[in-house]
Amino acid sequence: MGKYFLGVDIGSLTTKVVLLNEAGEIAARATGRSGYGGRDVARRLTAGLLDEKGLAGSDVAVTVATGYGRITYPADREMSEITCQARGIAHLFPGARTVIDIGGQDSKVIRLLPGGKVADFAMNDKCAAGTGRFLEVMAGALEVPLEEIGDLSLQAGNQCDISSFCTVFAESEVISHVSAGAPKADILAGVCNSVAARVASMSSRTGLEPEIVFTGGVARNSGVAASLAKQLGCGLKIPEDPVITAALGAALFARGLA
Amino acid sequence: MSQKRSYRPLDSTRDLKRTITRYYTLTRFHRYWGRPLGRPLAWVTSGAPVELLRAFKIHPVYPEQYGAICSTGKVTAELCQAAEALGYSQDLCTYATSSIGSLTRTDIAPMKGLPRPDLLVACNNICGTVLKWYEALARHFRVPLLVLDTPYLPGEITPQAREYVVEQFKDMTSSLEKITGRRFNEGELRRVMGLSDEVTTLWREIREYCRAKPSPLNGTDLFIHMAPIVVLRGTQQGVDYYRKLKREVGQRVREGKAALENEKIRLVWDNIAIWPKLFGFFKMFTERGACFVTDTYTGGWAMEIRDGDPLESLAATYTEVFLNRSPDFRARQLIQFIRDYSADGFVMHSNRSCKPYSLVQEVIRRKVMRETGVPGLVVEADMADPRAYAEEPIRNRVQAYLEALGA
Repeated sequence: MGKYFLGVDIGSLTTKVVLLNEAGEIAARATGRSGYGGRDVARRLTAGLLDEKGLAGSDVAVTVATGYGRITYPADREMSEITCQARGIAHLFPGARTVIDIGGQDSKVIRLLPGGKVADFAMNDKCAAGTGRFLEVMAGALEVPLEEIGDLSLQAGNQCDISSFCTVFAESEVISHVSAGAPKADILAGVCNSVAARVASMSSRTGLEPEIVFTGGVARNSGVAASLAKQLGCGLKIPEDPVITAALGAALFARGLA
Repeated sequence: MSQKRSYRPLDSTRDLKRTITRYYTLTRFHRYWGRPLGRPLAWVTSGAPVELLRAFKIHPVYPEQYGAICSTGKVTAELCQAAEALGYSQDLCTYATSSIGSLTRTDIAPMKGLPRPDLLVACNNICGTVLKWYEALARHFRVPLLVLDTPYLPGEITPQAREYVVEQFKDMTSSLEKITGRRFNEGELRRVMGLSDEVTTLWREIREYCRAKPSPLNGTDLFIHMAPIVVLRGTQQGVDYYRKLKREVGQRVREGKAALENEKIRLVWDNIAIWPKLFGFFKMFTERGACFVTDTYTGGWAMEIRDGDPLESLAATYTEVFLNRSPDFRARQLIQFIRDYSADGFVMHSNRSCKPYSLVQEVIRRKVMRETGVPGLVVEADMADPRAYAEEPIRNRVQAYLEALGA
């Protein structure tokens, strides 16, 4: 019987896997681009982790899958990423009552009960504004590497307004700022602000209760994090690796199932 | 999408099919019997005072129900596109746009479209869209349009509001006398209202059976078996059908038979059904043991028709329709449902088509959650247009919600 527990989160942009040991500590983790076959990416990442630890597939006792690819992944159980995200964050921050998660195509606000149960949540609907994809499109339009846009945006002198809530139209707005000769930093500050505004307004549906944890790939963007903290008027905690928290939650559930 | 139902079918479904087929056969062949019998055909809104029309021997037809038929028949998107090509916005109500589209796309419209009306009757107790929709129909068919304007009720109905509506009923009565060539017969109106009251009372009693644990019916049963209450209020056929249904549902309760094999979670539904995905959507709940024990939508037809002066009674009934009332009223109604039906949560369909139903849902949701402590989920879709339904995001929300409820 295996003594390890696997959480697999196949997201729209990124696939994450987290391996827990018997004590519930993270033994290994990996992330990769989901691309066309998230399931195969997840398999490859898992095989890599096991290899690295000198383990065999049979050493994994239970696997829980989450994220958009959860249904077709051969796991012992599939769970929604909202439930897994809540569990992962409650494990890292026992005092957390609100989670703001901005991923590739989803942004969500989750309100937690003590213990990590979901009390309420709100999500973006049928629109990529306010998500990682939005930032990716804007980074492309401005020819700035995605990882650099946050820091660059913080150097803005005169933030541009990106008023549109639509990714496609916002890109046109960005382009018109470019033609008007606005510095990249100013435009990026507007872009980060627009993402934060979208999520801040969503949070009014669930209510905000401290501690607030900001997670998901976009939490690594210092520009969005700063703008969000400013708009919400309170401090945000950011996990050390904000990309893997839902996969961590899935792995914790896997351990609970054993 | 699988059409397989994961719950117990009702024997009454056979009678339902027979009853509805008979109604639509009469409707389709109205041109053969309507004129000889002096019985005009009217297209009416769901909240129109049908009792008065029936008292004038008018055959009522419901474009809103037809909109649901188009949707389950998978032609809504194409019909809407036909209307959009004429310049109607994609943001309009899809019952309205599919209805307008069906005027030109008779090649794909069920029954080749509804039969040509002799008159149109619209009441704005359900929304304001019906006015413009019916005006468009009136221009297209060049037939008279009668409008009943029911003032929105921020609180209880006032004597002034009631009098305002009664006056319009009187006007409508004289218009109907002219259109039909018949004299208004108060005795006949009272008879029809008596039948209507019997039907709505039966519907109310059937719905109340679902307070039982486990519930004898699921939301899909309510949505399907509401068809006669929409089109056959004020008729003996309506009474006959709901007597049968009541017998069957009552029997289920006495025998402890449940709609779902394994009822674990009891939920309340808010808003019109998602017709294009009815079974696929509700299956996400039934497969996890979640049953919709009641809803605000089909409950709209469990109205009371009071005694007293018939026009005054109709004025009150049709003005007090829940969609014509405050968010506060609607929150109280939902809270009452949750308590009476011992529900564990509620699901709101934010219906892109139906603005009056959907725009205030977030306010209602927060109030209901605060007062009952049970969680509420919002799913975004459309009652008729499959283009507004995003399967994966919806599945994600439903799953997370049910996981939090312990399913």
